[in-house]
Amino acid sequence: MSNQKKLLIFLGGTILTIVTLFVLVQIAGVGYFQNISILAGITLIATLGVAILTGYTGLFTIGHAGFMAMGGYLAAILVKEYHVPFILALMGGGIFAGFTSFIIGYPAFRSRLRGDYFAIATLGFAEAIRLLLNNVRAIGPIKLGGSFGYMDIPSLNVLCWEWLGSDGWNGVIVVLLFAVGTLVMTHMFVKSQYGKNCIAVCQDEVAAQMMGVDLMRTKMLALFISAFFAGVAGALMAFYYGYLTPGFFMITRSSDLLAGVVFGGMQSLIGPTITSIVLVAVPEVLRGINEYRLIAYGLFFVIVMIFRPQGLLGYVEMNFDFVRQLWRREPAKATGK
Amino acid sequence: MDLFIQQLINGVSIGAIYSLLAVGYALVYSVYNFTNWAFDGFMAFGAFMGFTAIASMSMPFWAAATVSMILTIVLSVGVEKLAYQPLRVRKAPRLFMMISAMGVNLAIVNTINKLYTGTLRRFPIPDSWTQTITIGQASIGQMDIVAAIIAFILLAILWIFLYKTKWGLGVRASSIDILTSSLMGINNNAVAFIIFATTGVLSSVAGVFFGIKYAVYPLMGGPVTIKAMIASIVGGLGSLPAAVVGSMILGVLETMVSGYISSSYRDLFAFAFLIVILLFFPNGLMGKETGEKL
Repeated sequence: MSNQKKLLIFLGGTILTIVTLFVLVQIAGVGYFQNISILAGITLIATLGVAILTGYTGLFTIGHAGFMAMGGYLAAILVKEYHVPFILALMGGGIFAGFTSFIIGYPAFRSRLRGDYFAIATLGFAEAIRLLLNNVRAIGPIKLGGSFGYMDIPSLNVLCWEWLGSDGWNGVIVVLLFAVGTLVMTHMFVKSQYGKNCIAVCQDEVAAQMMGVDLMRTKMLALFISAFFAGVAGALMAFYYGYLTPGFFMITRSSDLLAGVVFGGMQSLIGPTITSIVLVAVPEVLRGINEYRLIAYGLFFVIVMIFRPQGLLGYVEMNFDFVRQLWRREPAKATGK
Repeated sequence: MDLFIQQLINGVSIGAIYSLLAVGYALVYSVYNFTNWAFDGFMAFGAFMGFTAIASMSMPFWAAATVSMILTIVLSVGVEKLAYQPLRVRKAPRLFMMISAMGVNLAIVNTINKLYTGTLRRFPIPDSWTQTITIGQASIGQMDIVAAIIAFILLAILWIFLYKTKWGLGVRASSIDILTSSLMGINNNAVAFIIFATTGVLSSVAGVFFGIKYAVYPLMGGPVTIKAMIASIVGGLGSLPAAVVGSMILGVLETMVSGYISSSYRDLFAFAFLIVILLFFPNGLMGKETGEKL
């Protein structure tokens, strides 16, 4: 594809997106649009985490809801009970989720669980966390509320008030800033040596090991990073809703995240980015089909695997090199054919 | 002591049902190297077919169970043809098979949810069957004992089939190397049919008995099949006897926890047990150290 064509597609896509957003705001109303963008941003952050683990390292997870729960509860406790600053609490939630991932990661990787069995282990871990939160009413003075939920968490709008100073939109701005930051950070990780190790492990563990890649460390790092982003997403969710119940972190949430990565494409960040936003926005805009959403997901899983197993944009990455190349007169490439 | 005996027998009964599913997983895994995630849906489907046959067509129980079994076989083999075979023929990585199976599962469970709504239903069996037998102070449900006996009979039939017949030999040969066995004249499609028909029977029976023991609802398969997978990991991957042993241990552990500690911590113990087993027995309790296949 020539660079001019790429530029046209890019500009066309941007204009189309802006027009769609404008129309959506007009139809749905500003408040509704804000809610959808916050939800899409939160889902995007968690999906990018799953993309690193599933898309790039090839480890299947159906348990990221558990890491979201860990991050969400810890960040909420830090802000509500200990009045920790918002940003520090978010990071704390993410890091805590990352460290809890070692509980399942270390034994699973040591016994070389892969594919389906690693998926079960993560699923079991997430369910165990949910059941624990369901049954624990209080830790010391902190009233977690068990299955009733942890109430009265300061909301996103209040927390961001001090350093943004505008109403309504500041939640959206903060979540979108975090989403863009996540995209940049995951992109940098993937392009780094660590990211290349992950891809090597995904393609062939034995070959990667022979090239000197430490399997344990690579997998643990990928798991830590993906759990970190899930934790941050969970924390943002806690501040967005203002309360948390264990029911937020059911298996369906994990499979929604997985769906974003599978439809978006393996070894791609831009694919899951697009699909995760679409998968949040479409059921919200078209309320009528929401009931059929999971049936459609299931059938899509099968159809995608049979006809386009690499996903929508598998192995495709968006970059802006073509913009630079437009201004540079390249010497005609020697064609060897 | 009476509580102990009661919980032990309950545990064996639940373990027997887990072992039906765990053996199904092990069977598919040993030949095709992927976990049939759609089991959950098959199980709910089997239970709902049995439920419908009794509730709206007023069939006797055994006829309904047979109908449910046949329909589940049709579903299982149909899913194999539509969703797994195209991938298998293309030699797709097993990750894709797994995603495909998860998709089938999501679609089946949510279709049932849409058609029947998510309410809990009692499986319609005669009241005289739900009586309990009292031994000393321990009271044990009749159906628990019946379920365990039928599960063991099914497992015995499966064992005889796999180890004493020519067809079973074909299946076992395929589990060692499917390509070589097909060169030796074993019909791969027949093996696939046998395996998926067997899993259909196993999941239908497990579904009906779980429906009787607890309730019939679309998501009933989820928790049970996760336990069965845990059981097959705890026992050792891909081996049939290990799957049975793992299921028994898990079943007894669960009922002991709900008897002596609290039933709300039952599932938590099952998952914690998995992590502990993985820490100390990386290959499962009866698993062999398996090197990397190159």
